[in-house]
Amino acid sequence: MTVLDKLARPWPAVLMILAVMLAACGTGGSTTPGAASASAQESQSKAPEPNELTVLEWGGYEDPKFWTDFADANPTADVNFELGNNDADILGLMEGGSEADVFHFYTGWQQFYVDEGLVQEIDTSKLTNWDKVPDSFKALGQVNGKQYYIPWDWGFTSILYNTKKVPEVTSWDALFNPDYSGHIAMWDDGPAAVTVSSYVHGYDETAITDEQLASIEQEWKQQKPLNLHYWDSEYENLCPEVMSGDIWVAYAWQGCYATALYEGTPVAYANPKEGRNSWVGLYGISADSDSPDLALKFLDDKLAETSCGNAVTLFYYGCANADVMAAVTDPVLVQAFSIDDPSILENTNFTPPVTAAQRDAWTAMWTRVKAE
Amino acid sequence: MLGRRGLLRFLIVPPYLWLAAFLLAPVVLIAIMSLRPEVGPINFARAWQPTLDQYRTIVGTVAYMRQLGISALMALIVAAAATALAYPIAYFLAFRAGDRAPLFLFLLLVPFAVSFLLRVMAWRLMLGTNGAINSFLEWLGVIHDPLDLLIYSRAAVVITLVYVWIPFAALPIYAAMGRIDRRQLEAAADLGAGPWSRFWRVTVPLSLPGAAASFFMVFIPSIGEYVTPRLVGGSETYMYGQLIQDLFGRAASWASGSAAAVIMLLLTVLLVLLATRIIDLRRLAT
Repeated sequence: MTVLDKLARPWPAVLMILAVMLAACGTGGSTTPGAASASAQESQSKAPEPNELTVLEWGGYEDPKFWTDFADANPTADVNFELGNNDADILGLMEGGSEADVFHFYTGWQQFYVDEGLVQEIDTSKLTNWDKVPDSFKALGQVNGKQYYIPWDWGFTSILYNTKKVPEVTSWDALFNPDYSGHIAMWDDGPAAVTVSSYVHGYDETAITDEQLASIEQEWKQQKPLNLHYWDSEYENLCPEVMSGDIWVAYAWQGCYATALYEGTPVAYANPKEGRNSWVGLYGISADSDSPDLALKFLDDKLAETSCGNAVTLFYYGCANADVMAAVTDPVLVQAFSIDDPSILENTNFTPPVTAAQRDAWTAMWTRVKAE
Repeated sequence: MLGRRGLLRFLIVPPYLWLAAFLLAPVVLIAIMSLRPEVGPINFARAWQPTLDQYRTIVGTVAYMRQLGISALMALIVAAAATALAYPIAYFLAFRAGDRAPLFLFLLLVPFAVSFLLRVMAWRLMLGTNGAINSFLEWLGVIHDPLDLLIYSRAAVVITLVYVWIPFAALPIYAAMGRIDRRQLEAAADLGAGPWSRFWRVTVPLSLPGAAASFFMVFIPSIGEYVTPRLVGGSETYMYGQLIQDLFGRAASWASGSAAAVIMLLLTVLLVLLATRIIDLRRLAT
């Protein structure tokens, strides 16, 4: 037998497979997530915190302008970013053992992190900017009566449309209008699709029945040929095509609306009869964080004037610091956030929490729509 | 001092370990993950009962299986087109470039200096509604309105993938042609074979193993493509690789994403095994 023959034996692979399978099917661990985090916190109290922070962010939010106050106040802190593409991705990464100290997601997904023991309660008494956050926003960060999350960015979802190609849009059903075939862009997101259909048909989106979901699935399958593409990055494959004139009607956030307005594109942001949608971004601190105090400082500084202000003036997202929003005078931003419309919130639907079963059913439905 | 065997072991063990750690182990982990029953926090130390539920769901969803078939067909088209287009390039390098072959080979490899993403993004500029091709056709007066089909279509995905793979596909064919004993061509000429006859009866058969290697080298990664269809494809150009990405990323279901990945892996291995049984590469090479 030659050396090559011996080496061709798969023993290293077999050993590795056995090791992995033993680890995978082992029964040794009965530790609950809560207990794990409690013991982690105990050990944290004994050792000094590392001066480093890992933040699990939506792609794009790692920009230093979003956390400039923290960077200025903590020049020696090492801040690293892991990036996710959407709320499901962020949750999946957290479930998969992300080492993030801080994570960012949007309204609707609050309950999962608490139920799965992935997040720790926040001591808001340590936050210096907390009093600038409106109570309605604070409430969105609470689960089971405890403050687990800090609200930060917020905005609207509605129909963004090209006023030269499309008459005034008054309903979400514009996304299904065959007159705009090949020039419609829907966000690549199952829960968003369910929300839009719920608005159009008057369904209660917190209690979608199986029959309603089946009908929603059919509706989006029929809509698919009308769509230019499903966008998944606002500034990569939505705004450029809105401004180039390829997209006439889009499910969009106000950031793209403001961007298009600044560029002089003839666009409008609908006030549909069913109401706009509104969302709020929330930050949580991982239950297993090695640097919970630094994480809290990071979030507190994100609420500070400069970081929050940058989110508004540079990226056109609303921010939870009420003082910053009150100081907005730029006409484009006033228009984008409908600051001059006192009735806008009365006609706005805030994203409700979804259950795990709804999330799974809706994302599975959307995957089938795309694969059809 | 290392003997011949020792040297061989010294050289071969590191790549084996590397492959075991970074190829085999992840594949095994994916296979194990595919047997997990539910989504939720992933903790391998906690007991769980293996199940085939994820496989049943994937295989039982007609739309998913249809996408697998479409993706396999698209990969087949891309691999065939890239191999066919790479063949003349390899032939030129092996038989016609002469002393300048290294220069042309270098030029062939120049695109690799640019990131894959940038090369694909460049095609958006080429194929876009206001892109180079539409603008040129409008300037010529051939069209009055931009052609919608150029981008966000299956054609756009195929065109882009073929472009990306041509340089890769040319290399194994070039290597195979480089090994052809030129005396065989001279013997064929001495026996009265003309240029076409020498090409079809000597060069082509002897270079087929290289062409087959090129084909598989393009086919295997193309079947699981998800970046290119995401960038230049539209709502109607979904591919199976995107399904895997969606199950992991959008559905937050690593178990079903893993099952979908294992199914694709098995299909790919099956197709390659089937093809290698039909095409006996060793026989072709002799």
